[in-house]
Amino acid sequence: MTRKMSRAWLTKLLAGAGGLLAAALSLGYSLYEQREADMIPQVEAATPVEAGRWKVSVSRSTIDAAMPNGARISPGKKAVVVEMMLENISAESSNLYGNLIKLANVHDASKPQYYLKRDRAILWDLHPRMPEAVTAVWEVPATLSLPTVLRLRIEGAIFKPRDNLYAAPGWFPSGSVAEVALPLNVGIEP
Amino acid sequence: MTRQAPMVLTIVPVAALLAALQATTPPYAMLTGPIRTTGHQTETVLSTTFGVKVHRVLKAGTIAYARFGRAVQLQTSGVWIVVSAELRAFQKTMPVRAATLIGASGRSYRQSRRAGEAPGILSAKVVQPGLPTTGIFVFELPDDETLGMKLVLSEQYDPQLKDEIGVFLEDDGTASRDRLEIGKDGV
Repeated sequence: MTRKMSRAWLTKLLAGAGGLLAAALSLGYSLYEQREADMIPQVEAATPVEAGRWKVSVSRSTIDAAMPNGARISPGKKAVVVEMMLENISAESSNLYGNLIKLANVHDASKPQYYLKRDRAILWDLHPRMPEAVTAVWEVPATLSLPTVLRLRIEGAIFKPRDNLYAAPGWFPSGSVAEVALPLNVGIEP
Repeated sequence: MTRQAPMVLTIVPVAALLAALQATTPPYAMLTGPIRTTGHQTETVLSTTFGVKVHRVLKAGTIAYARFGRAVQLQTSGVWIVVSAELRAFQKTMPVRAATLIGASGRSYRQSRRAGEAPGILSAKVVQPGLPTTGIFVFELPDDETLGMKLVLSEQYDPQLKDEIGVFLEDDGTASRDRLEIGKDGV
């Protein structure tokens, strides 16, 4: 009787210890992952960064009162203009660069509009192996006080030959790959 | 042991069969992909819904055309490829919006939207059954991609269970020139 009791007790003890160990491992792993995710490599301006589908080197940023194609910006707004070289390093033409660069220290910035410098026009597709000088424009409220140093976060993407839903090939976001700090020059104040 | 032998003998082959079936199942993207027809530039390539005859393939460093009466000149870091072709629709009125060139390295180059307002762009037209429609497709690609190109056409990009025509373009027909004028009646 006592032997049976002690055996049952031992089983319970082992199960409890196993559970605690699993919880501790899981917690440790998630803490480690969190720490890894927080460490985004800082790169200098004009350094080429590979972000999956795109290779980008950001060169300078200004505050401007007009769009790069000469169009006026919306009333009550000002434009944060970032110049860069952008190359499509995937295997097909693409215009999915909207989520590539995020403003880390400007709140509520909408998606940027991209312009092709060569044509002074809105940028459409970028073709593989054909780098182009482009400008990205974020329209922000004119009353918003902007930082003197703009921090840009470059978001990566990963190619899956078979995704989990349709077993179809596709690109998926993979988190930030680099951060660039750029002095924000004032061009023409509105 | 002897009692378990028949069970093992059943489970193992069944598991192997299921694994083989799973590994060889064509993916969804392939099952719902395009219905492909391929041909050569010298012939008219026909699918069930539309057909194409490629006339000329021209290479140029600069293209020029008039847009709203204003002269437009477009340069490129690579080379412009202008393909003139004739399209036919067979069953109903349809556009052929998607045109892609597969270059020498296998990368695919969609038609350039920069030249989207040039006269005679085929992807801006609709093709009526019984009325052959001529025009051009304009592409922009690096110079070393222009050998052994393949033109791929369909109604929309990424067609699913719709016709897609591939045409192998001839290498020697592509002599490069500095400047190419795109007129109202093509090149």
